[in-house]
Amino acid sequence: MAQMPALIPKEVEIQRLKKIWLIVIAMGSTAASVEVDNFVDGSLHQTSIRDSAFTPAHWWLYSHFVALPLGWGAAAIYDRKIPVLRGPNNSMNTGLKMTILGYLATMFTIGVNEMWHFWFVEEIFAVPNHWMFNMGVVVAFMGALAYVVRVYARLVELGAETPGENPYVAEMYKMALEGKLYSRSIP
Amino acid sequence: MTLPKGFGSGGGGATSADVEKMIGRRVENMTGIITLSYIAAWLATFGGTAAGYFYYPWAYPTPSGHFAFIVLTIVEAIGYLFSVKVCEEGTKKKSNGIIAATLGGTAVGTVLIGVFVGI
Repeated sequence: MAQMPALIPKEVEIQRLKKIWLIVIAMGSTAASVEVDNFVDGSLHQTSIRDSAFTPAHWWLYSHFVALPLGWGAAAIYDRKIPVLRGPNNSMNTGLKMTILGYLATMFTIGVNEMWHFWFVEEIFAVPNHWMFNMGVVVAFMGALAYVVRVYARLVELGAETPGENPYVAEMYKMALEGKLYSRSIP
Repeated sequence: MTLPKGFGSGGGGATSADVEKMIGRRVENMTGIITLSYIAAWLATFGGTAAGYFYYPWAYPTPSGHFAFIVLTIVEAIGYLFSVKVCEEGTKKKSNGIIAATLGGTAVGTVLIGVFVGI
């Protein structure tokens, strides 16, 4: 990846990129905490098929489908301070666009899901009201991965990583950055 | 370099005061809020499992809840460790004591919940 021109001081950019990391990890931890409710929900549906929209397992599960689009929206607002992360034609980063659209899809699917379950109580994974949950989450994950990898690649470009304190590790790190790590064993 | 409105003295580049102003609170000084966020996420994870323990014990077996809780605690702990280490790399700050206390505390808490909470 070509070195992009610096539009803001390097130190400022590194700090901002790391703040993006923190936002993403905070949302990842939120999603992890919600995952338990996904299991509880799945178990419940195998037993009682369908209870109501407001069963305790749904409270946290549905809340995160609102919290994540808003959280990624907040990330998008902060992202504007990092010129190198801009998308085509100075628009929003493509990964961020995908993530926000994916999670917005899941957010609106809550309503679709409840309308569907008003008439049909079955909770089979593949019923149409669940399609947009599944596709939305997959699209969001793909976008988030692309975005996070871009942030990481930029941190590497900026040389933000600290070489190890062990001199042998530091030497290996330096050689890896120069593309010479395997030159001793692979001629 | 073109700086945002309010920064710089007109024609020159960024001064160190400008850089400080653009950065705001430095990430290496955010260990406290990161630690609190991790503990909040861990408690929220317990809250999620609690729906299974206390509302639906017939539907969601307690051992499944404990398993999910332990795995997700590990995932969140890795995220916490990663956050603090990334934020403090390249600086002289070291919060190994806080990290050890927090991770140790949540590890012991997870074991205690696994042993004593649930049906």
